Formats: sequence, C-alpha cells, structure tokens
Amino acid sequence: MWIRERILPPGYLINVYDNRSVMAEKNKGAKNTRKSRMIALSSTEKEYVFTNPLDRKVKYMGETLQIKLYEDPNGFSYVLWKNKKYPLEIIEKNQNRYTVMLNGVWHSFTIETPFSLKRKKFLESQAGTSSSVTIDAPMPGKIVEVLVEEGADVKAGEPILILEAMKMQNEISSHVDGVIRKIAIRQNDSVMKDDLLIEIEKH
Amino acid sequence: MDVNGRNFKKFLERQQIFESQYDAESKKKQHAKGKLTARERIAILFDENTFEEVDAYVSSAKSEGDFGKIKGSFGDGVIIGHGQVHGRLVFAYAQDFNIMGGSLGSIHAAKIMKLQDMALKMGAPIIGLIDSGGARIQEGVASLAGYAGIFYRNVQASGVIPQISVILGPAAGGAVYSPSITDYVFMTNKTSYMFVTGPNVVKEVLNEDVTFDDLGGAEVHAKKSGVAQMIFEDEENTLMGVRRLISYLPSNNLENCPETEPDDDETRDVEEKLRDIVPDDANKPYDVKDVINLIVDKRSFYEISERFAQNLVVGFGRLDGKVIGIIANQPKVLAGTLDIDSSTKGARFIRFCDSFNIPLLTLEDVPGFLPGIDQEHSGIIRHGAKLLYAYADATVPRITVILRKSYGGAYCVMNSKNLGGDFNFAWPTAEIAVMGPEGAVAILYRKELAASEDPARLKKELAVKYRDEIANPYVADEKGFIDEVIDPSFTRKKLKSAFLALENKYVTNPTRKHGNIPL
Amino acid sequence: MKIKSILIANRGEIAIRIMRTARRMGIRTYAIKTAKEPSAWYLDEADDIIDFSESLSDTPEFLDIERIIHAVRENNIDAVHPGYGFLAENPIFARRCEEENINFIGPSSGVIYNMGNKTVAKDIARKNNVPLLRGSKGTLLNADYARRFANAIGYPVILKAAAGGGGRGMRVAENEEEVERMYNLASNESAKAFNDPAMFIEKYVAEPRHIEFQILADKHGNIVHLGERECSIQRKHQKLIEESPSPALDPELREEMGNAAVDIAKGVGYFSAGTVEFLLDADRKFYFMEMNTRIQVEHPVTEMVTGIDLIEQMIRVAQGEKLLFAQKDIRLKGHAIEFRINAEDVQSGFSPSLGTIEKISWPESKNVRVDTGVHDGSVITPYYDSMIAKLIVYGEDREKALQESSNAIRKFWIKGTKTTLSFCRAVLQNRNFRKGYFNTSFLSSELKIHYHSEPEEEMLAAFFAIYDFARDLEEAEGKKLNVDKGKNITPWLLNKRLR
Repeated sequence: MWIRERILPPGYLINVYDNRSVMAEKNKGAKNTRKSRMIALSSTEKEYVFTNPLDRKVKYMGETLQIKLYEDPNGFSYVLWKNKKYPLEIIEKNQNRYTVMLNGVWHSFTIETPFSLKRKKFLESQAGTSSSVTIDAPMPGKIVEVLVEEGADVKAGEPILILEAMKMQNEISSHVDGVIRKIAIRQNDSVMKDDLLIEIEKH
Repeated sequence: MDVNGRNFKKFLERQQIFESQYDAESKKKQHAKGKLTARERIAILFDENTFEEVDAYVSSAKSEGDFGKIKGSFGDGVIIGHGQVHGRLVFAYAQDFNIMGGSLGSIHAAKIMKLQDMALKMGAPIIGLIDSGGARIQEGVASLAGYAGIFYRNVQASGVIPQISVILGPAAGGAVYSPSITDYVFMTNKTSYMFVTGPNVVKEVLNEDVTFDDLGGAEVHAKKSGVAQMIFEDEENTLMGVRRLISYLPSNNLENCPETEPDDDETRDVEEKLRDIVPDDANKPYDVKDVINLIVDKRSFYEISERFAQNLVVGFGRLDGKVIGIIANQPKVLAGTLDIDSSTKGARFIRFCDSFNIPLLTLEDVPGFLPGIDQEHSGIIRHGAKLLYAYADATVPRITVILRKSYGGAYCVMNSKNLGGDFNFAWPTAEIAVMGPEGAVAILYRKELAASEDPARLKKELAVKYRDEIANPYVADEKGFIDEVIDPSFTRKKLKSAFLALENKYVTNPTRKHGNIPL
Repeated sequence: MKIKSILIANRGEIAIRIMRTARRMGIRTYAIKTAKEPSAWYLDEADDIIDFSESLSDTPEFLDIERIIHAVRENNIDAVHPGYGFLAENPIFARRCEEENINFIGPSSGVIYNMGNKTVAKDIARKNNVPLLRGSKGTLLNADYARRFANAIGYPVILKAAAGGGGRGMRVAENEEEVERMYNLASNESAKAFNDPAMFIEKYVAEPRHIEFQILADKHGNIVHLGERECSIQRKHQKLIEESPSPALDPELREEMGNAAVDIAKGVGYFSAGTVEFLLDADRKFYFMEMNTRIQVEHPVTEMVTGIDLIEQMIRVAQGEKLLFAQKDIRLKGHAIEFRINAEDVQSGFSPSLGTIEKISWPESKNVRVDTGVHDGSVITPYYDSMIAKLIVYGEDREKALQESSNAIRKFWIKGTKTTLSFCRAVLQNRNFRKGYFNTSFLSSELKIHYHSEPEEEMLAAFFAIYDFARDLEEAEGKKLNVDKGKNITPWLLNKRLR
C-alpha cells in the first residue's frame, strides 16, 4: 500500500510496493492496473513501453528495471538511477497528457494503452488530408498587434502577431507555409496560455 | 439432458447466429473508425466477467410495406444488461453501430426502456453507451415513440438513480435529448458528435459550411455549449473516467456515498502552504484548484465540466474518505466573476449533489456578477437566480469558506449564512462588503473626490480606510454572518469536523409537488 | 563624509548583495517594500523597511524619484545605492540626490547623462581616439530616414534605442525590406520601456565578441580597470553566461583595450564603478559600444578573479576615499564563470515562466558563490525581470572552472518553475564553448538545441509520467469502497431523504 506522499524520514522511497496489503484492500473485480502495459508517447513520437508500472519489477521494453523514486527532506522528488540522482516534478497533467520536468528539462507525453495508441495513429493518418495548424499563445499576455489578415499568405518564419508579456514584445511567427484561415483574437485582447490565436491552412 | 438432442441443437444454432453478429469483420469495421465495438466497451466499463446480458435474442420488428427492408437481427442493435463496477451493481445499454447503424427501432427502444425500468426498481445507476445513427426511418412513428418512452423514463429516474450517457459515436436529432436529461454526458474527442440538426441541414437551410467536429464535436460541447461534462481523448480513458465518476456516487437517492479508507495522515490537517496561496494584492489571480487539492484527500479531486465556464470550478472530492461536492470561484478566469454559464453550471451541480445527499463545500472568491450588455440581455438575472435557488433549496450539509472577495449580490448567492449555509468560515484575507473599495469610495465620497486636488491619491487613501473598516471578515464575524475566521492552514481540519457535525442534518422544506426553479 | 546609512533603491539579489557588504562595513541598510512582493527575501536582510505598499501613483515604486527622495529625507538616510536597472542610470534621480545633498553611490548626474545618451558617449570616445563603428551621429527622425541611412552604410545594420539597455529596443535589419519593421518594433519597445522612442543606427558587426572592462575610479582622479568580462553568450542581447578573464584576450590586447576604457572614463571625469563595453571582431579589432554607469549584474566574476569587493569600493569612493591600489596592483587570478539562472522556458524560446519557487537548493562549496533574491516559497512576478539567481563558479584555470561548473549545475535544483539551468548544461556540453571558440552568435549558429538532456533522461521522465498515471487509476480502481455503510440508514435520515 502506498503509505504517504509527504515524507518524513530522509530520502523516503515512494515507490514501495507491498503486494499483500493491496490485494487485501482491493475491491473484488476491480481493474488490475498494476499488470497493465502502458506506453508513454513523447512529443517527438518516441514510444516508451512499460509493464507493471507500480510493481517493484517494472518492465521497460521487456527488460526489468530498478528505478527508485525518492522524496528528500527538502521536498524534492528525485529518481535514483544508476547511482545518479535526477530531480523531477510534474509540471502539468491533464487526463492522460503529462509534462514532466526532469533535471531541468521538461518532456511531454501522452499515456496510451496499446489500443489507444493504435487508434491515435489511425486518426492521425486520416487527418493527414486536413491540413490546418493552430498557433496557440505560448504565454499569457496582451496582443499588441496582429500583422496579418484572414486569407493572407504566410511563409514559415514570417511574423504574424506581436504579443507583449513581461514588458517584452514577442514576435510570434508562423512555423508553416500557408493561408491564414481564422484569426481568433483582436488587438489589445488579453490571452491566456494555450489560447487559440490563429489558424493556418497549410499549403 | 441430451446435448445432441433437438432442443439443445436449436440452442446452439441460435447462439452461433448470434455470435456471428460479432465476428472479426465487424470488429475491424469499428476499429477502422477509431472506435471500439460495443462488446469491447462493455468489457472495459464493467469489472471483469461480471456483465450479464439480457434480451440478447429479441428480434427486430418487421418492415411495414416495401419502403426499405429491415435486415433482421438478434438484439436489434443494442446490448442491455447488468454487471458490477467496483463491485457495485450497475445497469448499462450499449448501442451497436455494426447492426443497422445502431439505429433506434421499436424493439431496440423497448429494450432500453426495460433496462431503465429495471434500474429504477433496483435503485442502481444506469449508463448508456451511445453510438447510433438515429431513429430507424423504416419503422416510422414506432421508433419516435420509442424515443419518447426513453425520455419519459429518464425524467422519472432523474434524482433517484444516477444516469450517465457516454457518447461514443454519432447522436443526432431526437437522440440527443436522452443524454441531456441524464446527469452526466461523457464524450470522446474526434469520434463522437451531438447535434439536433446536422451539417447537411445547416447547409441546406442557412447555406453555411460547417464540419461535424465544429458543429457538435466533443470540444465544442465541452467548451462552448456545456452539454458534455467530461471529454477524453480515447474510448478507454472515457470509460475509465465513467468508472471513476461512479466511485463517488451512491447507487440511489437513499444510499450514502461510497467511502474509502483515508490514506492521508494527520500531518495533512495543517497545511502551511494554504497561508501563502491567496496573494496579498486583491487583484492578483491564483488557481483555486491549488486550494482544493490542498484541502481534499490526495488525488481525490475529480473535476466536472472542466472546460466549460472555467470561472467556476465544480467537482467531487473526498474528505477523510467521505465524498463532498465542491463549488469554487476561479480567480484565474474572468477574475472569478459569476456569469450565465457559470451560474447554470453551478446550479446543475448543486441540484445533483442535493438529489444524492452529497454535502456541499463552497470556496468563495467572487468580485460579483460579470457586467455587460450581452450578459444582461441574455438573462443573467434569470440564470443567476438558478444558482441562488439551487443553493437555497438544497437540504444537504452546506459549508462555505470565503477565501478572499465576497461582494454584493454574489455574496448572497454563494451559500451565504442567511441562504441557509450551515457553517460559514472566512480566511483572514476575506473582504466581505456590498462592493469593492474603489467602487464604494467613488459613491460615498463623490463630493470630496470632486473637490480634491489629487483625487487619485485621495481615492487610494480612502480605499485603504474602507478595507480596514468595512471590507474585512471581522465585521461579518462580529455580526454572526460568519461563524469563524479561521487560519487557512487549518482549513482541512476545520472542514472535517464541521462535516462530521452535519452528518445527520435534517431540515424540512414545506410539502409541495415541486418548487418552481427559474428555468 | 562617512556614510552611516544607505537606502537600497532596488530589490532581489542585488539588494541583498549590497546590504551584506554595507552591514560588514557597519552601515545601516534600508529596503523598500512594495505590494508586488511584500514578503520578498531582500526585506528580511535589511535593517529597516520603508513601506511603499500603498501605491499612491501609477509610477512603479522603484522608479518614483520623489517618493524615494522623500523617504530618504524623512528617515535621515545618508546615501542611496540604486543597484542596476530602475533608477541606476537615471540622471534626473542622481541630480535630485545631489540637490537634496543625498550621497548617490555612483557617478555624477552629468556623467550619467552624457554616457546614457549614446550619441554623446560616442563623441567622447571619438575625442579620445577610441575606435568606433560607423553609424548615425544623432537620433533618427523616422523609419524612412533609417532606411536611407542604412542604405548608405550597408547591411546588416543594428537599430538601437537611444535610451536603451539590457537588449530592449534593439533590432538587427538584414536588408532594406526589414528596416522599417524593425525600426517600429524597437522604437515601440523603447517607448514603452524607457518612455523614449528615439533610435539611432549603426553598422552591425556580424559574430562579434562582447567584451567589457570594469572600471573603478575615485573622486581624486585615480582610475584603474579590473580586467575584462567575456559576455558573448547572449540571446537577443540578453547576457546569459559571463566569465573573466576572456579566452579571446592576450595580455597585450587586454592592456590596449583596458587603456582605451580608462581613457574614456577619464574623458568624462568618471568616478565610482563603471563598465566600458566593446565589440571585438574576428580580426581582433575592437570598437567602443557604450559605457554603463552602474554596477553590472555580472560584477561577481570580476570580484572572484581580483578579490576586490566592488560594492565596498563604490561606497568608499562615495565617501570621498582614495583608491588604495593602482593599476599595477591589479592581478587577475584564476577563472570565474557566472551563469544567470532565469525563470524562463528554454524549450519554448525562453518565454517567461511565472510561478512559485517551491524549493531551491545548491551545492555549498568554497568555489561556488550564489547570489539570489529568492528562497523556498518565493513568487516570481511578472513585474520584474526573470532572473532568480546567479551561480558564480571559480577555478584555478578555465578548464577547472568548467569542470566545477558542471558539478555545481548538476546539484543546483529548483522546483516549481522552468529555468535556464538546462540551457547552461547545453552550453557546457558544447565543445567549441569549452575550447573558448565562441561569439555573440553562439546561440543561433552553434547551439541548435538550447537545452541538454541525456538520452536516458527522457525514459526516466516517461516512467514517472506512467507511474503517476497508474497511481491515479489506482485511486479510482484500487481502493476499497465502503458501500455497506450506506445501507444502514437510520429512520432519521430516511425521513429526511424522502421529503
């Protein structure tokens, strides 16, 4: 049983697994999440396949791994791997979408099961024909100026609007060649992070 | 019994035909759309090997006349039955798109109605897995009558047993109304749609081009219309989400919510972080979900309608294993003001909790109602009243914690003492008054401000004075409108004992058929 | 006149840095409290706090000259140290201090004015025969004028705000088409940041090194330079990593550039600490860029290699003391590197990353110095710059300093916000950086990926994500639900439920 996440003794191991107590407390017939195979699909389409993620013997690509998660008395979580400590934290999670910061670098994943991964790939291959991309606000701020109009042609790298955040004027540019399909904001609008700014129809 | 005998042979034959409806071919067809088959869905939704099908062999109705032939089938395109979720009885029906497009014929409808009747008799939740082309045209009025019968039973069961709809494919026309009556609608992104009139009709009538996704996709219903409370990226997560929701709900309106063994230790009762969460600057936003997560049991907060009306956060959580419903203003979005969407979202959630005896916790930081012509003309008065009505009408234990702002009409609405709040707490950062300092000063000292040489400075000085003398929790505390001003770090502990004290709360509302909520 | 008390008209790490030296010298320190960060650490370090929490005007607290002057008068404070940024290079503030007989710890208002106006600064350099780049003599009238001027001197050109600094209000135009857009961007930015849209233009040196010399002068005409700082690792003119000495300079060039820096400072009658910035091109020719009349963010690297406390010297100079050393006494010993740790998301183009520093810790060592204004629980606000700490590492030579840096960065942990630490790691991994071959275009041309992650790290992150996801499933699936309790409903409750 997972006892607690707030750690008292120094270097408390958080992924301890006590088989017996869990089995005793478990609901009859509940889904066995411990034995399942899960895939973390990275933003660069890399697949990391783990089996029994909560078990003492985690399997990664068929290999049994010893990965230990600790929380130190200062409140840092870290993973101990090959005698090296890597600090980590979850910086964003929403359903099966995760962003994990490890050693100062963040990595984004979606957690998939074998079927959902198949479905995802399938839907993506279908979506290949529809070709619009969206430009989302990379940070909260204020729209200072919109440099394009709907229907205008843009080239990759061409600035399309200026967003002011933290007293800096940031040029947001298109990352594809295409036609502006929709402008979702106006000058002087305040935007939240990840708000849709502009939709571009790819050439 | 002679297994080679006639009787048994017939039994096996039927079974063979029945099973052939679920061959590899049909599986492939469904998977090719990025969807699971009805059987696979049921397998995920229920505990392993607990589902028992009912009425598997009923046959489709015969076609009337020559207009379109009905390809007869066993089951008429819907699987109904009962099974267990977390070891608790749950009824479910799953429409099968592979059999006549999951279209709703009279027999199909009769099966669903039968299941609804059963669920209501047993007092157990009912879940609809919807993937249907709509009414079966060949059967005409009989299929429409079927819809009406389903709606009627939906309404009868409302507030008696939890009803959940899971949209996993198309749901068009009349089919959308059953889900909208039920308590929760789940959708899967990119493969499910809901609309009353489809893109073709829109094109014909209005000559506007709109895609299925833009008109009635999961994103639209989660963000804009609020029809779908929960959306997920794939069917497995959707169905696991349904399982999780059920773990918070009682089976019926007489039962208590299922409790868990709390695994949080007592160190969580004092949470220093809560002291720093609300910024000293009254206009600075923060994320109220951080507050919620620090109060409820670890990992227990389950948000409902996450993307719709984000200025009000609602959801279930556990406090020492016991389920509570949480309603919280979100200062991060629109400064936490109440508008039409957030009022209806909050009202519906409160009505659900009250129906099923789930105690309510309100976390309040509201500067008021959202001003604007659009809001007024669209009836913020009418819609705001729903929230107020829902609160006042709720007989479950109701606790409010005022985190920061609590101004004007919004103060009254958000479960204030005189609206029947059982315990009303406030943090020292609370500002309770008729209006914010800037507004109040402008009205009270209009003449002085007009005469002043430096009105901006005077205004600021007066605002400070106003905060010190009026807009704080202590005035309300001394007048009894607040039960206690509490140290934020002790919030969890305070709430635990307060909800414990209210466990057997019993109030009587006057006897009546039903109240007239301003719909 | 001996200074007994100082108001630090600044915040964050530099306020703390100044207070520590002042306290060591037996001087009472005053800090300004603002509503934007009322529980910031620098307030705890001060002896006294002056409360500016109630904002009485729209001018930001640290820019409100009259309010600061008033506070100094009211509390009978002897001197003001402006730190960097804010009012540090504002001649009006220095002038007001002079008028009110407050000891402004920095140069005279006249010098600040002259050096702050870049066109005046260039005239002074020209008079002292310090090499300069071709450019407009005065500020430009408009974008069209800029375009014509650029056509005359040839591309690429750089447009700079006359009042600019710290990379704001600066844009490079590669060709004629870009000039107008870049002019408007830079001018608008300058108008917002410095309330002055005036621009000038000059020839842009491609791939130069940014080398600056630390100057220290007293009020009696004594003046020395404390060697150079190599500040070429920049992004959009924002310095990210600085070191001293520069791997590009040999003693001869150092002497030549140092003398030029001293000449300029002498030419304007400089006193206090200041910095003369040069560009050094691929042919090892150097050009005067500007002089910063304040303490620099990156001053610690100079302190590490010279052993001189620059803040202490500034205070002594302000008291009218003479410098106790001459140029021949200055020796650069060892090598120091400073890494600026900013709350920025390196992986999304260095965008600001707000939030709360939940935890921060670094390795304690005699070769590691950390200047920071944050501790556990500090909030990063959008009101100020994004720097949260400076990590300064010392080594006997550059090789050892680099080695030490890698270790220190590995053990520098920050939880709660995205930082530029991953960028520092990427730079340290780069072979050309390690060899000392780099210039200001390092980020765009050499360092294609601005962060560093070992191949296995992503796998570990993936594991953690899956682990947490499984824990959440476990929450819903693995827990025993007590439904039995619900069946024992007392008549009392039953009555209530069937109202």
